Amino acid sequence: MISTGLFPYMLGLSAFLFTVGATGVLIRRNPLVVFMCIELMLNAGNVALIAYGRFLNSVEGQIFAFMVIIVAAAEVVVGLALITQIFRLGRELDVDDISEMSE
Amino acid sequence: MNVLVVVAMALAAISSLGVVLSRQTIYSALSLVVTIAMISVLFLLLNAQFLFAVQIIIYAGAVMVLFVFIIALLSPDAEDRPGRDWRAVVGLIAVAAVTILVFVAAGNGVTYNSKGFRATQLLGSCTSLNAGPCDPYRTFSYPVDATNAAGNVQTVAGQLFTTFLLPFEITSLLLLVAVIGAVYLTRRGVER
Repeated sequence: MISTGLFPYMLGLSAFLFTVGATGVLIRRNPLVVFMCIELMLNAGNVALIAYGRFLNSVEGQIFAFMVIIVAAAEVVVGLALITQIFRLGRELDVDDISEMSE
Repeated sequence: MNVLVVVAMALAAISSLGVVLSRQTIYSALSLVVTIAMISVLFLLLNAQFLFAVQIIIYAGAVMVLFVFIIALLSPDAEDRPGRDWRAVVGLIAVAAVTILVFVAAGNGVTYNSKGFRATQLLGSCTSLNAGPCDPYRTFSYPVDATNAAGNVQTVAGQLFTTFLLPFEITSLLLLVAVIGAVYLTRRGVER
């Protein structure tokens, strides 16, 4: 069994992964990489949920992590469909150039 | 066991940096595969065997194959210039500050030592597995594996199909909407 003392480090890893993912969303231009960074942030949330669930001796954290995984899968399907469609229109893959919806 | 946790955490952290710092999209995707594999190892060590399997099958299997497939299909160029400017720096500082604040706030509700955990229940729903009198400062002793005594998959399924049945059914609706959306977006004839 892993020791209780690792719990704050689990939360630290979760915070680190979330910050790295958010950084990637902010500084990268390729929408594919931006999506991967969103996946990273969702996984960071899952790590926190499961660590809490483990150390509080509850399965509810695992159930919420399961829901998060389902939502992430649905999001990837729709997002990648959008990206292929943008590419099919002959556009460069750059999130700064895709701004029709904000105008 | 603890060594394994530390190694998995270190590899997850390093490979997550690879996702953001790689110029080539395919290297980002492969780094993300490593990160997800290491996170799934953490899930296994945290007694979440069901989530371990789900993580491997859905993320490392389905989602990452989809990513790699799209990368191979579109073959995006490497980024010639990193897109950072002052707005990104401000946003990064804000994200780091909020993350630290959230985790400090989350840590305030839970105190731990070698003997056990003490959790503050914010909106106290006392209908969880740990039956007992409903006091806001319930102590969860550690290690108690009674939660998973019947096996992790069985325990998770028991909760999922009873207490959390409605959210579970709503996710099926979400998946249906996602499928319809993907089919609609990628069909021929959408081009303007």
